[in-house]
Amino acid sequence: MTVPMSEPERPTDPQWYKRAVFYEVLVRGFSDSNGDGTGDIKGLTSRLDYLQWLGIDCVWLLPIYQSPLRDGGYDISDYFTILPEFGDLGDFVELVDEAHKRGMRVVADLVMNHTSDQHPWFQASREDPSGPYGDYYVWADNDIGYRDARIIFVDTEKSNWSFDPVRGQYYWHRFFAHQPDLNFENPAVQEAMLAVLRFWLDLGIDGFRLDAVPYLFEEEGTNCENLPRTHEYLKRVRKEIDDLYPDRVLLAEANQWPADVVQYFADGDECHMAFHFPLMPRIFMSVRREQRYPISEILAQTPDIPDSCQWGIFLRNHDELTLEMVTDDERDYMWAEYAKDPRMKANIGIRRRLAPLLDNSRDQMELFTALLLSLPGSPVLYYGDEIGMGDNIWLGDRDGVRTPMQWTPDRNAGFSNCDPGRLYLPVIMDPLYGYQGLNVEAQMRTSTSLLHWTRRMIETRKRHPTFGTGTFSELGASNPSVLAFVREFGDDRVLCVNNLSRFPQPVELDLRRYEGVVPVEMLGGVHFPPIGELPYLLTLPGHGFYWFTLPARRDDG
Amino acid sequence: MTNGHLEDLLRDWLPRQRWFAGKDRGAGSVRIVSRRELHDTEPVLLHLLVEVDQSTPVAPVPTLDSPSGSKFVTYQVLLGVRSELPAQLEHAVVGSVEGLGVVYEATHDHELMQRVLSWVHDDAEVEGIFFRREPGAELDVAAASLVLGGEQSNTSVVFGEQSIFKLFRIIVPGTNPDLEITRALTEAGNQHVAAVHGWIEADVDGTRSTLGLLQEFLRSGTDGWALALTSVRDLFAEGDLHAEEVGGDFAAESERLGMATADVHTAMAQTLATGTADKAVMADLASAMQTRLDAATASVPSLAAHAPAISAVFERLSRRGEPAALQRVHGDYHLGQVMRTDSGWVLLDFEGEPGAPIEARAALSSPLRDIAGMLRSFDYASHYLLADHAGPAQLEYRATEWAERNRDAFCVGYAKAAGRDPREDDLLLRAFELDKAVYEVVYEARNRPDWVRIPLGSIERLLAA
Repeated sequence: MTVPMSEPERPTDPQWYKRAVFYEVLVRGFSDSNGDGTGDIKGLTSRLDYLQWLGIDCVWLLPIYQSPLRDGGYDISDYFTILPEFGDLGDFVELVDEAHKRGMRVVADLVMNHTSDQHPWFQASREDPSGPYGDYYVWADNDIGYRDARIIFVDTEKSNWSFDPVRGQYYWHRFFAHQPDLNFENPAVQEAMLAVLRFWLDLGIDGFRLDAVPYLFEEEGTNCENLPRTHEYLKRVRKEIDDLYPDRVLLAEANQWPADVVQYFADGDECHMAFHFPLMPRIFMSVRREQRYPISEILAQTPDIPDSCQWGIFLRNHDELTLEMVTDDERDYMWAEYAKDPRMKANIGIRRRLAPLLDNSRDQMELFTALLLSLPGSPVLYYGDEIGMGDNIWLGDRDGVRTPMQWTPDRNAGFSNCDPGRLYLPVIMDPLYGYQGLNVEAQMRTSTSLLHWTRRMIETRKRHPTFGTGTFSELGASNPSVLAFVREFGDDRVLCVNNLSRFPQPVELDLRRYEGVVPVEMLGGVHFPPIGELPYLLTLPGHGFYWFTLPARRDDG
Repeated sequence: MTNGHLEDLLRDWLPRQRWFAGKDRGAGSVRIVSRRELHDTEPVLLHLLVEVDQSTPVAPVPTLDSPSGSKFVTYQVLLGVRSELPAQLEHAVVGSVEGLGVVYEATHDHELMQRVLSWVHDDAEVEGIFFRREPGAELDVAAASLVLGGEQSNTSVVFGEQSIFKLFRIIVPGTNPDLEITRALTEAGNQHVAAVHGWIEADVDGTRSTLGLLQEFLRSGTDGWALALTSVRDLFAEGDLHAEEVGGDFAAESERLGMATADVHTAMAQTLATGTADKAVMADLASAMQTRLDAATASVPSLAAHAPAISAVFERLSRRGEPAALQRVHGDYHLGQVMRTDSGWVLLDFEGEPGAPIEARAALSSPLRDIAGMLRSFDYASHYLLADHAGPAQLEYRATEWAERNRDAFCVGYAKAAGRDPREDDLLLRAFELDKAVYEVVYEARNRPDWVRIPLGSIERLLAA
């Protein structure tokens, strides 16, 4: 039996993820410690003080494993080795230890569904069908099985089956042809994957974001997604974690509608967290439409989840807005609307960072961040968005939003001391977002900077556990441009009022249930007029927002 | 307290109420025709039906549903009486009666409104007033009440976040179509109405008559007018972009509103009376429209230039041979009568014109009349923000573009759900729209002369199309 290493520094709080602020880091793009032009784990470790200062609770790493990198590291060729340009296992253990010393956590992406075709398991499987790995992948004599499974990368893949000339059979792949799906029907594969998880958990990792989790099992006559046996296996993984590694988390990447994603929470015995994908585009839609319905609707459609579970929410991440969300489901017309808005299409469809998406409007960046930090779920920040970093649309594919973090106005933005030509991607140099003016150092020296503002907001959020654990209830508001809601957890009550319009707006809120309470604005501590029995009138500047605490009435005792 | 004292108080108080019809004329004689003490210990709850002499003609021109012409209007009033009034009820004071105490509007009193809700919950009968709970409706009798502002012809009280109680102010004998239609649609499982939770009725002139309606409260709803204006405002802020290019585009909402409207029309046709309009009925309709046009032209000279062309449309309608389907309709349909909720559009207020006799309000009509009402509303919404100042030509152009786009989307949505595009019956639809716009011209000329150009502009476009 595996016994987890004892780690006295590790903060113990089994539900820490419900209150945590996450920060998504591209190891490659964050900090380069050895001057080779590529960020690495040691570099990240050296920046933990900054993340701690910012108020980050958990760092989320994109894949760090050995890989031929034909799909950004999601094509793993060795689960037990760190990609050499990022460092080695020693560096990783150091990162985790240093994070824990600062009360922070580290989670990383893990792909269970498939491997790279370079993985030794696949090489053995194709060469020796009757050997120990012969049944590790999904092989067939023809390409007619599982017809009802859709093809995800319709641009590049014609079929979910590809022929392997070595073995003389077809293999199954839900993603690219160079990413064969593992055969989870094979108990040996199930065991092997548990061994992978245990390996990293023993090194101290605080959890995994499980990539492509709906596709583990296949079954004829189904769409091969979210199958019961996939859930059974995830429950088994969860049990292993609960038994041996309490307070570590599983975060499901299931890019589906909330009503479908909740199956990954099961009865609180499967994944701890899952991303709420449709919320993000709807925040953009709401502000573009200057009305709250896109947000109100998706939250109204979001089912309740078990107490021990939490949504992960985000504004931007390393991916584009994926078209996996397209559905025939009539209930949801979001995409019809989305397609009707060419500006949205032009902006969100391609890969942009938050600041350029919002035309670098400080008001809007603040409004969006305030929504991210107050809507139900644990917020995930994307590296660089805290300083309003720009992107480079001239870089191909998803690289435009993966440029080096801008630390200082020095060479290579302080990211690396290599020759600029050696950088994995050029730093942003345009007049608006260029690193000479826009960088962490400059913003740390300016108390009114977006960075300081973001830090204050995170700090404010963390003073009120209700943002993480409280109930969410939207208030009926007389004005469709105003999104108002209350988060409530015991006597920790917070009222958030957001003006989604560029114009000043009044709103009358029905706050009868809080009659007699004196709202206190959270950033300045100003007492507002007490709530009476009549609608509560507030006025907001364009894209303005208020966060209030609603302390108990004096006579409430 | 004698009725005389109360009548004196009401004569001053009634004309100051929003729901009082014909504020410009004031109240002539005021007579309490029925007085019920629903609760006789402090705070006392009084239910009154008050007959008011409003003998000056009501409408500037005869409308499609011209009120009966009766000069007496019956209002429903709920009063509380306390010996001393708590501060939070001071704004609701009607007046003091010596020896009795202070009389105030009971809808503002939590205690009295909770009593009303409990009676509905218990299916009670109090002093000849029948409180009725819709079978299966669950009511939280402890919920706090709140009077909503903004209502024009009735008074609405919200209970908690669950129910809304509409106290009808003008009472005419019979079942209010709002109750009749909403109940029928609720029972048919229609998703586009607010479910009925209960109602209140009593015998008036020997006929069982609706006094109030308790419905599902659409907590997160916004009315369509406010939502449409949000979109227009966004468009105007982006003066260089077309209506279909701005983020605030409303066409998808309009299309869904068209679908919801068709859905409700279909359900009304399936559950309530239907009929057919033959040539004679059409001729009558056309002649009524022409009469209204003549009266309007006489009072607003700027309409004269268009009158012949409008008459030509009405004339074609009078010769129309093709029969038209008739059914129950909303009757006063526009963007202010629909609410956008988190799950879609909901249609409200099926009561028709308050004060008109029930038979007139329940009369069958073509559903195109509702559609024309909504199409007119899109026109109004698009120009509303420019109404008090002539906007730059660019914005006027954009406004028209917005209206066209959303009128079109509404019809497309309607066609999707109904299987038939309302524009197929172009003549009837246009006639309804022109009739409505003619009414608007007169209304604006009297009340907001700067605005006349909105309906006049629409008339020009309708005639040019």
